[in-house]
Amino acid sequence: MGLLTNILLAPFLGPVWGTRWTLEKVDRVVREELTDDTPIKEDLMALQLQLEMGEIDDDEYVRREAEIMKRLREVREWREKFGMSTSGGPVRVAESGEPE
Amino acid sequence: MTPAESASAATESTPLEGKYVYCIIRNDRSREFGEIGIGSGARVYTVTHKDLSAVVSDTPIVIYDPTRENVLAHEFVNETVMREFTLIPMSFGTIFRSENDVRALLNSTYQAFTDVLDKMQDKIEFGLKILWDRDSVVAAIERDNDEIRRLKDEITRNAASSTYFARMQLGRLVEAAMEEASNRYVNDIHEQLKEVSVASRSSKVIGDRMILNAAFLVERKDEKSFDEKVKAISLQYEDLLTFKYTGPWPPYNFVNIKLKLEKAT
Repeated sequence: MGLLTNILLAPFLGPVWGTRWTLEKVDRVVREELTDDTPIKEDLMALQLQLEMGEIDDDEYVRREAEIMKRLREVREWREKFGMSTSGGPVRVAESGEPE
Repeated sequence: MTPAESASAATESTPLEGKYVYCIIRNDRSREFGEIGIGSGARVYTVTHKDLSAVVSDTPIVIYDPTRENVLAHEFVNETVMREFTLIPMSFGTIFRSENDVRALLNSTYQAFTDVLDKMQDKIEFGLKILWDRDSVVAAIERDNDEIRRLKDEITRNAASSTYFARMQLGRLVEAAMEEASNRYVNDIHEQLKEVSVASRSSKVIGDRMILNAAFLVERKDEKSFDEKVKAISLQYEDLLTFKYTGPWPPYNFVNIKLKLEKAT
């Protein structure tokens, strides 16, 4: 037993550990990607700048803004699904007194 | 149904039961600001607790997308209120279910609002975004930097034989010189504006042409001096930089009160 057993058993254990680790990692990365609206907000700001600089016209702006709003709503839906905080919508003073 | 659909459907059919909050001001009586609210010109008025008021309009309970139209409506109300009052802006899209919920906010955050209103009294914000024209900056660098000019001339003269290494070297020198130039411009501009502003805050730049994305807090009485200074600086850098100068705004970038709010379901 000992080292040799580990090595011999490795083909069985290895892939299982590996798979689980990978799935967890993928899960986390996917989750972060699905619930992060920072890049979308950056796109929105960049789009706004393009309009201000006269690089795109109103029609183009409205069209691309609609796409960005769609992406924002998707992120919001994922955040709700994962029980994460979202902005907008009705709020009230928290009874617990703990800041969000 | 997406939030946007619910927003447009709701304006037509459901009662306007919520209160959209734009900002907090020091005011102890009922005030009207006109039919300029979010969602096709809702009436904008005040909900008051002691000597603080929230500026609100009636709204269906929806999530507002931060579209240009909605954001402009939010900002326009704040601009209007700002002509008469020092204000604390609320985050875009903040809705309470009732006037009582709004009063609860004023009551529970009374001290923090009062402190910030004192601090922000008669102060306004200006936004300054500065973009550079890469080609002009590179041309200026090639004109002023001897080493770069020499290396470039050499490469141009010996186009066929000039090495990959020499070109790489030139690229690296130009990059470094550009970063140095960008820092020099930004520092100089900050230094010049320091005399006419109370504070400044820099945000992340947008896109690859922007070298400064900053907000400046300015005393109302210094508005004209700040204005003139920005104009003078933009003349000074006329050939190299493009200035996007906006304001006056409420102090969006200088107020940071963490409100203790939770979802009202």
